[in-house]
Amino acid sequence: MAKLIAVVCGAGINTSTIAEDQIREKVEREGLRDVEVKRILYPDIERFIGMMTVVVSMTKIFRTDLGAPTVQGMPFLIGTKEEKEALLDKIIQMVKAA
Amino acid sequence: MQFNESLVALDIEAVEAKAVIDLLAERLHAQGLVSADYGAQTWARELQHPTGLPTKPFCIAFPHADAQGVNQSALAVASLKHAVRFKNMGDPDEDLDVLLVFMLANRDPEEQIATLRNLALLFGQPEKLIALQSRSTSREALTWLRRELRLGEDGKGAAELRKGGSLGA
Repeated sequence: MAKLIAVVCGAGINTSTIAEDQIREKVEREGLRDVEVKRILYPDIERFIGMMTVVVSMTKIFRTDLGAPTVQGMPFLIGTKEEKEALLDKIIQMVKAA
Repeated sequence: MQFNESLVALDIEAVEAKAVIDLLAERLHAQGLVSADYGAQTWARELQHPTGLPTKPFCIAFPHADAQGVNQSALAVASLKHAVRFKNMGDPDEDLDVLLVFMLANRDPEEQIATLRNLALLFGQPEKLIALQSRSTSREALTWLRRELRLGEDGKGAAELRKGGSLGA
């Protein structure tokens, strides 16, 4: 089954697009196949439970039953280049390990 | 992406976030870029989904509304004389003292992805935020930002881009 990196944000336009773009580029650079990067609105997250490999959260997530490890995606917006790259590496590792 | 001198407001005095959003929305509306209620829409969204960001050395915000009220994608920027409070996007319970506001009017984020990416690069570099804040005229701030965000249509060469890119670095 394809792996899914879910970029979750509150209202889902600009913020999640910024994160999605960086993750997708990294996935391509790493040559990973069968990995989907998708923006998901927090209110819609219910129907993706069980399908997500990693959750990248651009907003505060209050629930712990997502069935996938969650990382804070804020560095994609305000992190230094190094912080952005470190977070990308971490996400890729999590996807490979899953 | 529309971005011009009238869409840069430096050293404005505002007591609250809503006033900054209204001011920038009015400027966007004056050029026909957004609907008359874009400010109200943006404020309503801000209350639900705050856009304050804990950048360094001072916080920023990038308020925006949904695409309905947007006639043409645009950016409007304000620097504030005194900080105003926005809620933190990553933690809505936290107040942030914001000194720079980047208001986006976006018809389609995927179409503007290059600009969004360049904005995120800027947000991650304290020296760039300081450099922007220290521009003394709207025109200077505009020229500087256009270069940083690669919004050139002005035929500036790569050497100029590099010069701008190394400011304060």
